[in-house]
Amino acid sequence: MPVMRPDDVGLMVREGYPLKLDLPIEPRFREGDRVLTRNLNPHHHTRLPRYARAKLGTVVRDHGVYPFPDTNAHGEATPQHVYVVRFTAREIWGNSAAVTDTLCLDLWDDHLDPAPEGR
Amino acid sequence: MNGVHDCGGMDGLGPIRRVSNEPVFAHDWERRTFALMLVANANSYWNIDESRHFIERLDAVHYLQSTYYEHWIHSMEAMLIEKGVITQQEVDAKIAAFSAKQGTQQCR
Repeated sequence: MPVMRPDDVGLMVREGYPLKLDLPIEPRFREGDRVLTRNLNPHHHTRLPRYARAKLGTVVRDHGVYPFPDTNAHGEATPQHVYVVRFTAREIWGNSAAVTDTLCLDLWDDHLDPAPEGR
Repeated sequence: MNGVHDCGGMDGLGPIRRVSNEPVFAHDWERRTFALMLVANANSYWNIDESRHFIERLDAVHYLQSTYYEHWIHSMEAMLIEKGVITQQEVDAKIAAFSAKQGTQQCR
């Protein structure tokens, strides 16, 4: 078991716990891809908020490979790509939202499917 | 988990009260709770996602009525008991001892 030492504390407070993994795992999506979030309602942990389920968005950045929180909370890292996915406020909240507002979420491969053709 | 923690988009929770010049730690026990969380992570008792799920599993009413660091300390307590690092009896005994010392039943 790793042990925390006094010398480790400064770095931990400044940097947190970097979780990025250097693994040769192919991304399922590229910048600009349209995606549809899954309608997940698990009893376990998930980083996909309720308001963002079954919503259409656009991949705007690939952060690289990280543990998948939904399984990592339960002992399985399931490493995969994490993306910044941008949604319009209207996609999330409907037509009363401001037309120019957007919302970005960090989402993992297993939160996403390709958007249906033309959407 | 569709719990009360996932409150994005919910109405009726009242305004967010902002405190000017808010200190990093409002109470000394919050400072210690922060340090304990670092130790629990560094010693691999849990990872960040596991710790979040312990917070999600707090009683829903208690979750909404308690503060940020109360979430931390109660979830850490539940984790350390579930993993057999400490026992509920030890926690109860400590609370009783502190309560007696302070002459109060309210040490949390």
